Amino acid sequence: MEEIMKQFVEYPSDPYTSIAKWKENTKKKVIGIFPMWIPEEIIHAAGMLPVVMWRSNEAITWGYAHVPPYNCAINKSVVDDAVKGKLKFMDGMVFLRQCLQSQEVPFIVENNRPPAFEEYLYLPPIYHGDKASKDFTRDEFKRLRKRLEEFGGEKITDEKLNESIKLYNKNRSLLRKLYDLRKENPGILRGRDVLRIVWSSMLMPKEEHNKLLESLLSEMEKNGYKTAKGKKVFLSGCLCIHPQLELLDMIEDLGMLVVDDDIYVGYRYFANDAEITDDPIGALMERHFIKTPVDPARGEVEVNWGKELIGKVKKLNADGIITLLTKYCPPHLCYYPDIKVELANAGIPEVLIEVEHEVISLESIKTRLQSFREMIGGR
Amino acid sequence: MNTQYKINKLDTSGVGPLVDRHWRELREAKEKGMKIAWCAGPMFVYAYATPNIASHFMAGYAAYCGGRGMADEVLEAAERYGELRDTCSYHRLHTGMAAMIMNDWPVSNPQVLLPMPDLLIGGRFCTEMSHYMEAIHRRFGIKAVTIEIPSARSREDLPRLEKFLTDQVKETLIPAIEEVSGSKFDEENMRSILRPWKETCIIRNKCWEFFKLKPSPWTLWDYGVSIAPVFYAMGKPESLEYYNNLLKQLEERTEKNIPAVHPDGEKYRLYWDGWLPWSFLGKFIRMMIPYGAIPIAGRYPWEFFPHPEDINTEADDIIHEWIRLIYTSPNTLSYHDGPWGGQEHIEDLIQTYSIDGMLFFSSNSKYRKKIRHTRDCH
Repeated sequence: MEEIMKQFVEYPSDPYTSIAKWKENTKKKVIGIFPMWIPEEIIHAAGMLPVVMWRSNEAITWGYAHVPPYNCAINKSVVDDAVKGKLKFMDGMVFLRQCLQSQEVPFIVENNRPPAFEEYLYLPPIYHGDKASKDFTRDEFKRLRKRLEEFGGEKITDEKLNESIKLYNKNRSLLRKLYDLRKENPGILRGRDVLRIVWSSMLMPKEEHNKLLESLLSEMEKNGYKTAKGKKVFLSGCLCIHPQLELLDMIEDLGMLVVDDDIYVGYRYFANDAEITDDPIGALMERHFIKTPVDPARGEVEVNWGKELIGKVKKLNADGIITLLTKYCPPHLCYYPDIKVELANAGIPEVLIEVEHEVISLESIKTRLQSFREMIGGR
Repeated sequence: MNTQYKINKLDTSGVGPLVDRHWRELREAKEKGMKIAWCAGPMFVYAYATPNIASHFMAGYAAYCGGRGMADEVLEAAERYGELRDTCSYHRLHTGMAAMIMNDWPVSNPQVLLPMPDLLIGGRFCTEMSHYMEAIHRRFGIKAVTIEIPSARSREDLPRLEKFLTDQVKETLIPAIEEVSGSKFDEENMRSILRPWKETCIIRNKCWEFFKLKPSPWTLWDYGVSIAPVFYAMGKPESLEYYNNLLKQLEERTEKNIPAVHPDGEKYRLYWDGWLPWSFLGKFIRMMIPYGAIPIAGRYPWEFFPHPEDINTEADDIIHEWIRLIYTSPNTLSYHDGPWGGQEHIEDLIQTYSIDGMLFFSSNSKYRKKIRHTRDCH
């Protein structure tokens, strides 16, 4: 088990070196994709490795020449990494119009350290699920496919695309299995381990990740599911970035166990499969329009994040919700007050913790979490 | 000896009654049995062109609250509801006002309470705009239609983005307007509004030309406070009258060599990037004027229908024609508004208006246009 975890940890510990090493060994191309909606399957079917861009491992410095400090963590971080040349191992980058800030990142990258391949997808929100938006999304995915064919010199057939979808579906299904085990057996894995397992899936080849996940699940079954005691909490939010590992440790050290989440480097990443059909691009498009888990960046008028959380917490019999709000994330900022009201009306305890790129005051967070822990039932 | 600079504002007092009338009519609309639409972004024109719908152009509400000294009170109401300070101030102003209505909270000046809408129209030119639509929808259950209006990365993208927007408007927005208004969308009515509006914008652009003069007879702030008539009196004769009066003043000043800055005109001509700080226009100009500096040009105030000459008000498909103005018309707004075309546009403004310096204004509570157009300096 320890040996398997070591392999999961390798990529998140130093994505820059691990991915560059993989590239050197395989002689394949690496494409960085901006969170959260770009269909990796199309890039994989082109024979390249899609890696989800991450919050970097050092303080923002050069990046501040290009973006104000009050941009969100992922935007600042990707800009900073790009202008410093830390992402030069990426042969290409795919960006998207997800929020106001993200639409400006590719412009800065292009002006400073343009990769060999770059694409920008105008992926629309999913409000009305109208034909116009669906047709447009389909065309955007087709365009990405064509551009990757030109760049890689390899045709992306429907068969190849379906193979990639199958592989990715399998990865998602294994991750969901792991999450189900955690729901049934709280504390079965440490929060930091669960996070790194999901994060490594965003960075390493899915073929390898699937093997590791299968080994892990089998080992866990062999060893028996050991649970821990503590108050059950649900982790919500944290769009686009991974939270600090220390924060997850702190939650556990205070006697709470994360039993489920809807964070991006978590359930949100692997929630929905694409169907295997004769029209794989259509299947990817249909997945884009699935309305749950509610995504405030993608727009909603028919489903409600607060109500969704209430349903999940009740089903899990969890004691409360810890909201992780990525600082300066407008979609979450604008939604949060309504979630808070919904949860308060339903009598579900909740605490808001802001997460940033670099310095977060762990001591003040600890005080808040201690109070929250007392609120949901003392120590 | 140091020059003592002094600002000499243009007479823009005519805008007040015109704007007041708009807000009064909006407040009275419900009593007259009209429907109300709150609109963010350039899709407001379709609601505006519907006779029994009174439209509130949401971006103007910040200036409205600021002008009445009520911005702080409304923002405090938003915080009392639970809004977080990093959230866009346009969002907080509307949700604050909605919270005052919803909770019957006391308000010093009830004029800031607008009638609640029957329809929300969100144009995602700025994605933030959709968030306040969603919030109002969640809290009041009001029908919300949100339309995606992406800024173009390249000119090649413009035709397909134009088609996408046209399809959305025809498939989703127009039927929603028809449902709320209870009548078929009247394209001829839209033309009848756009004809005088086009004429007005052409006169307004003649005024804008005076920024090329050195010294300049007016400042970007004079222009900024004059922005309202093209929204609030769209297609109405008084808007044309307002700009004709402005043009006359500018011609007179030019003829008599009266500059916007006493005694001999501005020393520095500034490019102002980002939105105009409606509540603090006076404070900012007082900071600049001791140095003989004034704002002359900017992208944000120029983005509101800068090229009326490009629209054919007699087009058969007038619904599409408005969208063409945004995308594939010769002076594409969508491309110039995004970061890629924005850079070209800024360069052009700097040259055309003989700019000496640039001021990038971006605040953490109003997110649009906040990147710095910098190239690698390392």
